[in-house]
Amino acid sequence: MSNRMIMGKYINTGSWMHQLDPRAKTIAMLLFMVAVFLVRSSVDLVILAAYSVAVMATTRISFRTYARSLRPLLFLMVFIFVFHVLFDTGGSWYVDLGPVKFYSGGLQKGFLSVSRMVLFVAFTAVLTLTTPPLLLTQALESLMKPLALVGLSPRKITLMLTTSLRFIPTVFEEANKILRAQASRGMDLRDQNVLQKAKLLISLLVPVTVGAIRRASELVDSMEARGYRLHAPRSRFHELTWGWGDTLLVGSTALLIGITQLV
Amino acid sequence: MALEFQQVTYTYPGGAGERRIGLDALDLVLQEGRFIAVLGASGSGKSTLLQHFNGILLPTGGQLLILDYTLTPGMSGKGMKELRRRVGLAFQFPEQQLFAETVEEDLLYGPRNFGMKPEDARIAAHKAAKALGLGEELLGRNPFHLSGGQMRKTAIATVLAADPDVLVLDEPAATLDQASREELLTLLADLCRQEGKTVILVTHRLEEVLPYAEEYVLMDQGKAVFHGSPRELLETDGLMERAGIVAPPAVRFLRSFSERFGTSLPDGPYRADELARFIRDVIRKEPPACPIA
Repeated sequence: MSNRMIMGKYINTGSWMHQLDPRAKTIAMLLFMVAVFLVRSSVDLVILAAYSVAVMATTRISFRTYARSLRPLLFLMVFIFVFHVLFDTGGSWYVDLGPVKFYSGGLQKGFLSVSRMVLFVAFTAVLTLTTPPLLLTQALESLMKPLALVGLSPRKITLMLTTSLRFIPTVFEEANKILRAQASRGMDLRDQNVLQKAKLLISLLVPVTVGAIRRASELVDSMEARGYRLHAPRSRFHELTWGWGDTLLVGSTALLIGITQLV
Repeated sequence: MALEFQQVTYTYPGGAGERRIGLDALDLVLQEGRFIAVLGASGSGKSTLLQHFNGILLPTGGQLLILDYTLTPGMSGKGMKELRRRVGLAFQFPEQQLFAETVEEDLLYGPRNFGMKPEDARIAAHKAAKALGLGEELLGRNPFHLSGGQMRKTAIATVLAADPDVLVLDEPAATLDQASREELLTLLADLCRQEGKTVILVTHRLEEVLPYAEEYVLMDQGKAVFHGSPRELLETDGLMERAGIVAPPAVRFLRSFSERFGTSLPDGPYRADELARFIRDVIRKEPPACPIA
């Protein structure tokens, strides 16, 4: 199960994108998110898709890997599309199928929403696939420094994020092991109908949650036993450095917002 | 009936460069009704091997003949319930095997799924708990609130409760104290001798299975590099060392003793009292010229 999880998985190909400052990649991702939400037409979509494909190509990671990152959201995308098609009544024409009418506005909005989601998730994958989790959190901590002015601790937030990211595959692996134990004692998920499958998956909630809490508590003890103090001053093995490539990435993504607004 | 692995390969799924081979064209034939210990260094494929016995893992190459079942690559994995009723598997980590709200519920899970009547399932669960020394007072408790040893015993009892023909156990005695370890292994040996059950267990401690195991399988890099009697295992020079296992002191002593006296070891299993008798008989027949080093 965890092997199919592509989100949050770092793949090192040594590309130009891998060498960039994680802060630049994070800012670019946020700017791209803004661009995605400002999309109004198919032309905007094509421009964003072309930019996104170009950025993905520079990472030297196969497009199949990016496609796999979309897989967990497939159901949600289908749901959003169907919802728009069934309940959105805008547009200039419609198809009458007796009890159901499909409006062109619904189709358009459904397509736009799903495309936005695809573009955003695939572009976000550039960040997570090309940045080791530790550098990513270091970048977040650096970008969140202003939050200290309002009394929030960036280090606390990034520690929570790192720990959560670290435990995602573990929690999946743990759930998988319990499913195997249940299969071994005669309750194989593959032999069950949809209702029984849902029941079986719900029965995982308690042991997996208990396991996650136990692990978190053990992790805290282990960190404290090795002298970790949250606000103690600490040095960094990797110092973040900003170069011309970082400016180029952030600048081109910002330019993208301008272009899509002008077109 | 035999449990047969024919050129079985298992590769763990993963992206390019991440694929890990668990079993590598493994050939192995085990007979029913025997007490078999599987040894090997960490990562040698022991746990992967065990998870093939009841179809939890299916081969990616070759085929397995387990009881009346043939397991081949690409099978859907559906309809394995009867195989799993007959082959009980206790996993390496008990905390990942228990999931019910009480110990009793966990013990009843297997028997109920395998179609036992509620009353029979309850009797089987209580019998298994008793056999493992789990008192009645523990049955109502949450399995996650038990001690490590109690959790391990509960995990093994959940398998015993379904009364399988073949018991497959991954390091069942780890985390148990010495007394509980001996009790558990004696129980397994009794199930093997008196009820004809097959016991296949993985262990890192050769000395703890010496008194019980009738056959040994030695795993190294996904292959069974040895399968034979206790005597062959102990007498074959460098066999264990090549597979990354350090022979325990008792084994080193036996080897040294048999070399010094130019005598062959008994067939095994090696119970302490039988070994003492063997040593006494050899020394009486031919006293050593110098004290044993």
